[in-house]
Amino acid sequence: MISSRWTPFLFLAPALAALLIFRLAPIAVAVGGSLTGVSLMGDLNFVGGENFHYLLTDPQFWSSLKITLWFNLIINPLQLAIAFGLAMLVFRPLPGLWIYRTLLVLPMAVSTGISAVLFGLFLDGNLGPLNGFLEWVGIGAQPFHRSQDQALYTLIGIATWKGAGYWMLFLLAGLYSIPTTVYEAATIDGASAWQRFRHVTLPLMRKPMAFVLVADTAINFLFFAPVYILTSGGPGGATSLLMFEAYRSAFTFSDIGRSLAISTILLGIILVIVVVEFRLLRSPEEKHV
Amino acid sequence: MEAQFKSPYALMLRYGLLSILAFIVVCPLAWLALASLRPQSEIFQPVSEFGWGTFIPSRLTLDNYRALLASDFPLAVKNSTFVALMTVFFGVLVNALAGFAFAAFDFRGKNLLFLLVIASFMMPFEAIVLPLYVMIRAFGWANSYQALIVPEIANGMVIFLFRQFFASIPRDFYEAARVDGASWLYIFTRIAMPLSWPTIATSGLMLFLSQWDSFFWPVVAASNPDYAVIQVAIARNINFEQSDWGGLFASTNLAILLGTIPFLLIQRFYVRTLISGGIK
Repeated sequence: MISSRWTPFLFLAPALAALLIFRLAPIAVAVGGSLTGVSLMGDLNFVGGENFHYLLTDPQFWSSLKITLWFNLIINPLQLAIAFGLAMLVFRPLPGLWIYRTLLVLPMAVSTGISAVLFGLFLDGNLGPLNGFLEWVGIGAQPFHRSQDQALYTLIGIATWKGAGYWMLFLLAGLYSIPTTVYEAATIDGASAWQRFRHVTLPLMRKPMAFVLVADTAINFLFFAPVYILTSGGPGGATSLLMFEAYRSAFTFSDIGRSLAISTILLGIILVIVVVEFRLLRSPEEKHV
Repeated sequence: MEAQFKSPYALMLRYGLLSILAFIVVCPLAWLALASLRPQSEIFQPVSEFGWGTFIPSRLTLDNYRALLASDFPLAVKNSTFVALMTVFFGVLVNALAGFAFAAFDFRGKNLLFLLVIASFMMPFEAIVLPLYVMIRAFGWANSYQALIVPEIANGMVIFLFRQFFASIPRDFYEAARVDGASWLYIFTRIAMPLSWPTIATSGLMLFLSQWDSFFWPVVAASNPDYAVIQVAIARNINFEQSDWGGLFASTNLAILLGTIPFLLIQRFYVRTLISGGIK
């Protein structure tokens, strides 16, 4: 190849410099900043593990961590299960199927923030139709995101409304990659529909399912917009997920050090998840079964 | 293989389930679209009076949309459009250059750098929002258009897309042009870029949508109302107890429609890219 040694780097420079500054450097800033006390005036002073010490002795942090873990423990398997069900439903050909497929992925076009606003209105006691419906069928109106007991599950519902169609697409691709001959062979061997699902589909779908679970987890550990828009972490701290807690530390309490310490913890969790994701994507085919 | 859904009952069950699910997805969207056309006096629907009136307005009016013109919404649309278009322009240019370098050249550290690119789009952006804000503030960029645009220009996914496309062009093609005396910049601007218009279109739309939909970063980096983008302006309106519910209905519905059009345009390609990028 005829080229000067530096040509490729000239082409790469703007993008790589930007990735370095705006994607990689913030990780260092998070770690570095969590070890310093940065006042809003910008004065730096090294405080070592002090931020973490305060954090780990702060019941508010532990409660946030617990809520975040509980939230993820529910939402990720739930979204995976629903997405898998959707994928099974839209997999085999059916007249009019494209209409259903388009409708099911439609929430992808609605941003997370707007979907929170939409449901804020839809679930509202005075403006929204859902409570009217619940009264009408005799269940009675519900407070949803305005109650300590229901707020977290309301957020889970909204996120699932928005996310299920998106994750369905990955699982659908997985279903298509299973050779039809495998099913034919199983049918010839006399396997029932349930047996084919249990012993052919499920094992062969392990990899796409693991991918969806891991990628979904990475996103949900950073869940923010609906908390900010609908609950502000309340009522009574019921939805104070870690990302919101990090935001509030910086902007409500002007405690950048605490904010960056929480960000560092979240980054640590996310980096682990990304490594697992990488492994999954690169794992050879024999990981199947 | 069709045995699973052979019987008419199974078929009916499948249609029934699909219809219920599609209804759950569409119902809130359709309700909002219709509610945004309600006259101001009908906005509040008493819970006790559930019926057709809950969904169907007694008369349709564009008053709520007309009132938006006098609100802060046009400024938000202007801000979002400006930020998104600038990001598309610089994003396509910068990421295409990098994608071209990965496809057309062999150089030391190439695999490592490409790994960095992939890793950058596997890590959700939200994870670095707060430390990035600390940096942006140190640059003196807080509450500015640069803060909204510059960090979003380099995009690992778009670099990846361009690399995939440029790698599909045989290298002999580039080298033949080199032999004819063309500079690499000439090859990039006059040969590679014109060939890559489908990738330009899809990655441009992806960059546009990512800015159009972004919320967390604008809320953190540019909280000043002068720089409010659509998402932030709407979120503010639901947060502050306010009287203009009709305006909120109309602006939210408009934001959904404006996001849906580009999505439907790239849906097919976007879906294919997502899937092939995710599972190989």
